Amino acid sequence: MSRLARISQSHRTTAPRASSIINVASRRLHLSSATSGQSSVNPEEVAHFSRLSQQWWDERGEFGLLHKMNPVRMEFIRNKVLEIQRDEDESKVNEARPLQGLDVIDVGCGGGLLCESLARFGGRTIGIDASSSNIAIASLHAAADPSLAPSSSVTSEADSGSLRYEHTSVEELLAQRGPASFDVVCSMEVIEHVDNPRAFLTNCATLVKPGGHLFLSTIARTPLSYFLTIFAAEHLLRLVTPGTHTHSKYINPDEMTEFFLSTPMPPDHMASSNGVPKDSTTASRPWISRLYGGAPLRTEAEIRGMVYLPWKGEWMLVPRGAPGASMWAEACNYLFWVRRPLE
Amino acid sequence: MLRSATRSRVRTLAKHAKPVRASSNRFASTSTHQESDVVIVGGGPAGLALATALSSNPLLRNSLKVVLVEAGDLSKVANWTQPAGTYSNRVSSITNASQSFLQEIGAWAHVEEGRTCPIDEMQIWDGISDARITFSVQDDQALIGTGTDTPSRMSTMTENLNLQRALLHHLRGASAVEIADKVKVQSIQREEREGGGGWPLVHLSDGRVLRTRLLVGADGFNSPVRAYAGIQSYGWAYDTTAVVATLLHHPRTSFQAPNTIAYQRFLPTGPIAFLPLSPTASSMVWSTKPHLAKALLASDPAVLTGMINAAFRLPEVSLRYLHDVLLEAAAAGTPLTPHQLREEISWRERSHAIDSRSAYSLAADPTGVPPADADLLPPLVTSVQPGSAASFPLRFSHADEYIGDGAGARTVLVGDAAHTIHPLAGQGLNMGLGDVDALARCIQQAVLTGGDIGSRTALLPYARARYFENHKIMAACDKLHKLYGATAAPLVWARSVGVEVLNELDAVKAAMMLAAGSRPPRARPSGPQLGADVAAKGLETLARGVSGVRGLAEGVANVAGAGLQRLLQGLANSQKR
Repeated sequence: MSRLARISQSHRTTAPRASSIINVASRRLHLSSATSGQSSVNPEEVAHFSRLSQQWWDERGEFGLLHKMNPVRMEFIRNKVLEIQRDEDESKVNEARPLQGLDVIDVGCGGGLLCESLARFGGRTIGIDASSSNIAIASLHAAADPSLAPSSSVTSEADSGSLRYEHTSVEELLAQRGPASFDVVCSMEVIEHVDNPRAFLTNCATLVKPGGHLFLSTIARTPLSYFLTIFAAEHLLRLVTPGTHTHSKYINPDEMTEFFLSTPMPPDHMASSNGVPKDSTTASRPWISRLYGGAPLRTEAEIRGMVYLPWKGEWMLVPRGAPGASMWAEACNYLFWVRRPLE
Repeated sequence: MLRSATRSRVRTLAKHAKPVRASSNRFASTSTHQESDVVIVGGGPAGLALATALSSNPLLRNSLKVVLVEAGDLSKVANWTQPAGTYSNRVSSITNASQSFLQEIGAWAHVEEGRTCPIDEMQIWDGISDARITFSVQDDQALIGTGTDTPSRMSTMTENLNLQRALLHHLRGASAVEIADKVKVQSIQREEREGGGGWPLVHLSDGRVLRTRLLVGADGFNSPVRAYAGIQSYGWAYDTTAVVATLLHHPRTSFQAPNTIAYQRFLPTGPIAFLPLSPTASSMVWSTKPHLAKALLASDPAVLTGMINAAFRLPEVSLRYLHDVLLEAAAAGTPLTPHQLREEISWRERSHAIDSRSAYSLAADPTGVPPADADLLPPLVTSVQPGSAASFPLRFSHADEYIGDGAGARTVLVGDAAHTIHPLAGQGLNMGLGDVDALARCIQQAVLTGGDIGSRTALLPYARARYFENHKIMAACDKLHKLYGATAAPLVWARSVGVEVLNELDAVKAAMMLAAGSRPPRARPSGPQLGADVAAKGLETLARGVSGVRGLAEGVANVAGAGLQRLLQGLANSQKR
């Protein structure tokens, strides 16, 4: 366990004001839970969480750009999942609820923007985050929506999606549930905030079932991304609180591809960690077999750029094969999908 | 250990934060809140069309719970019938764009087509200068060409009730929508929630409380939903009242085009429009000063009939005189008799040297060979359908926003709740249907990407698609109203020259018709393509003009082209007969 990195406790909420509130809130939370075992709700705490939930779910505030990005991320997830369903078994295609009956996890869920959408797609969704106040906010928000009710097990669990949040890290979750527990693993705009991205990626990948999907989104380390995400968004336009991003932590698309091309997955120590002998079902091999003209097979992995169009106030998923996409479209925000091979 | 303690605590918090929902979930029978995804307030054409659009889409039908609330009794609308030959006085010109939307959602099939009437041509002229502009299907086809999607008409006159009944019949087959009629919205409150993310709670007069993800205001000019959303609206009341009535008249003779031409004369007091419904019945919308509207409605039906005929025919100065006579007689307590009016009119006609055989004469014989100018005017009205004359005040209002925000979040406005418009271009209902089309698409897009359809992020594309679009139409209608309200000679001259020049520019006219919904959105040429076409045709027109002036008209193509055009027009006319 010591070799594995922990997600930085303050990831995604590095806003000075916001994080100070979080610290206060979480301190109180720890304190109160330590002093009194039985649940008696402190209105002060509720008020604290409420103020924070305003931040995550204020569609015109700090996270406004993230709200607008969400439909594009979901469009990508929808397209890839349906594409694979069609390739494999036409009868399995579920246009209305593409994630129906699948176990889905969102690592670093923040306020739950992506999680709620994943659950609406029919997935049995778990959102995890290292920050307890994020989890509180996400739970508070989801509680307003009857379609996301965790108690919807009254009806058959397989019918509708469900949503649950857990305050934990990906390492702890892996230790708790074991590898290959999820059909879909998502981690959006998180990897650029973690300390050891390689270990983080390995852990996320290990959670994926054979034939399952891993979705990531992050920012490429280019002059353009420095200009847009740090200079323009943080300092010039103040759309995002300065200090939110660290340019050196950005990861380029080809580095992502290279990782899944060269690293056998799941790693050997993981495959045998839970006592299961290494056999064909846990065979460890890279998920991308080879590159064709620098790009992976579309059935193995895919990279798509996301571009914000200020005049429309919307993000756009850059079409496949857009001319020179690697030069502009994938030089800043991009989505990455890779599939664990069926064995 | 500490972590797990925290976690359970968090859950408790979340539960505590919303005691109402927790109870509604576990003990459904004692629940006071009914959960729904979309609550539509208002059972008018816009509200019904939205319910139909949502229920006709398989994706949305299966994922959304929709409730429509209407204070009135919708079974009266669903069972509406009217004897053949008589018509309701609330009619709308359904554009081809609106009609194709209604076909898409499956509602048009339920419209009683026998009660609708195609419009092939529109004639609009200046009440003072007689400068005239004509729009016809041929103009549209000349620019964009014929094809599979070529409209065969400019628009379709339809009684509003005929459309509402069709929507209701379609909805009756679709069980996905719950229709709560004869139920009033007593109040709308925002649910109290920690963090302020409460959903709207709609309290109904039957005691139910609907908790909704999205609240749609299709509730008209005095929209309670708009008030709840805290959206201001900008506008004013015109010093104008619209008089509506169903007019009965002789059929057009076999020498004339059928009764499919809409007429509109812009008088300084407001426009008067003649809208065909059948060979012998048409609808009228006469926008005029409130005191005059009152006097017209109070007068003898035969006097009203005479006044309507005169309004389309007599020179403006005589009309003003007749209106004064009408008002004075009413004020003196001796209302104008039909006989007196006939005398007055025939005297005015003589003094204007209007030939009694001309179409401009009220004494013209409606049978036999019509005068040459008969197509320039609507047929002579013989009577007003009893009980059909009514009036309503005109206003202009446009909501500042279409989407509620902050304390009014999860609300959206469509139709008259968002905008009220001068009826001179007949665009009110079409704008509402355009809103509904855009909103349904927007909701579908949000569902496709797992979005929350009540969120601002999901609804923003709707506002972006419709706000400016509606504003353009509203501003144009308002400017027209004001432009034609003027009587100053230079202004009358300028607008008349403008209209006459415009009348020669077929391409510009076609572009205007396109903007007014002459074609369904999917059958429209792309923007740049249209721009190039308009420019090219404009240039052609200019070249034709120049060559004519210089006497270089021997351009064989031009002459042959014009000849051919005339021949085709003749053919088309003969086919109509």
